[in-house]
Amino acid sequence: MRDEPAPSDPVVAIYATALPRVYGYLLPRCGSTSLAEDLTSETFLAAVKASRQGNLTEVSVAWLVGVARHKLVDHWRGQEREQRSLAATEPLVDNIEDPWPEWLDSEAAYAALARLPVPQRAALTLRYLDGLPVAEVADHLGRSVHATETLLVRSKAALRREYGEESRHAR
Amino acid sequence: MPADPLDALRLPTVPIEPRSEFADGLLRQMQSVDAPPRRTTPTIRYFVTDLDEAVQFYQQQLGFELELQPNPVFAMLYRGDLRLLLSVPGAHQGGHTLSDGSVPAPGGWNRILIQVENLDATLEALHRAGVHFLDEQPSGVTVRQVLLADPSGNPIELFEPARGYHERTR
Repeated sequence: MRDEPAPSDPVVAIYATALPRVYGYLLPRCGSTSLAEDLTSETFLAAVKASRQGNLTEVSVAWLVGVARHKLVDHWRGQEREQRSLAATEPLVDNIEDPWPEWLDSEAAYAALARLPVPQRAALTLRYLDGLPVAEVADHLGRSVHATETLLVRSKAALRREYGEESRHAR
Repeated sequence: MPADPLDALRLPTVPIEPRSEFADGLLRQMQSVDAPPRRTTPTIRYFVTDLDEAVQFYQQQLGFELELQPNPVFAMLYRGDLRLLLSVPGAHQGGHTLSDGSVPAPGGWNRILIQVENLDATLEALHRAGVHFLDEQPSGVTVRQVLLADPSGNPIELFEPARGYHERTR
C-alpha cells in the first residue's frame, strides 16, 4: 500500500495566480465580501476534489473562472427557489421603456442592478457584465433561449426604472 | 442593428487580492483534501483443464468479457467489477506445483456467486445451451439459487434475491 503525500496538485500549483482572478470575477458580481469568499472557496475546493479524483485534464485560470461563474449561477438559482413566491407577485413591467441616456453612468447602473430580483440580476450579469451570448445565458439559467430573451427584455426595463431612481437620488 | 447601450456594462475581470487570512485558510483546506481511496478489483482464480473451452463458456454462457489470453495456459476475464483468472494447473505461475508437490486442480466446493435479475429465464437459456447443472431445482432462503459447473467442473452459483435478502448496509 502506498500512502505518499499527493504530488503537487495542478490546482494548488496555480492557486497564487488564479485566486485574485477568481475572487476578482466574483466580488463585483456578488456585491458582498462574505458571499464572494464563500463562492471562491467552493470553486477551488470543487476543482481540487475533481483533480484528486483524476477527472481533470487541463487546469487553467480561465477554466477556474468558468467554474466560479457556475458556482455564482448555482447560488442565484438557489436564491431564486427560495424567493419564488416573491417573484410571482412581482408586477408586470409595462411596455413603455424610457430610452437609455447617451452616456451611461456605469456605477449607478451596477448599483441599480444589485437591487433587481435574482433572475433579472442573473440574466443581465451574464449577458452584459460577462458578455455571454444569449444562448449561453440560457444554458446557465436552465431556460429556453426564447424564455431568456423575454427575461432579458423585462430585466432591461426593470433596470432602466431602477437606474432612473438611482440617478434621481444621485442628483 | 443599433448598439445595445448596456454593452457599456461589460466588466472585464480585474484581479483582486482577497484577505490574506482567507487566502491562507483556503489553501490549507485545499491541501487537506484527500485523494479518494484507490479502487481495487475483486479477483478470483479458477483452475481449468481446457483453457479455450473455459474462456468460451464464461463468455457465451455467463456474460464475461475476455481481457487477456496471452498464452495457452492463462486468461483474464471481467464481469462487471469481478476479475476472473483462469489458469491451467501445473503450467504457469499461479497454477504452479507447490513445494510439497501438490498440484492445483479444478472443482471443489468453493465457488463464485453471480446475481441475476431473472433466475428462471437465465436457467432456461443455460439449459438450452446444454450447461451442466449440479442441482436441478432452485432452492434457498432469502435467495433462490442453483449450482452449475463450468466445463472443467468448477462450481458456479447463480442466485436471485428473494424476500428477506440482505443487501450491504455500509
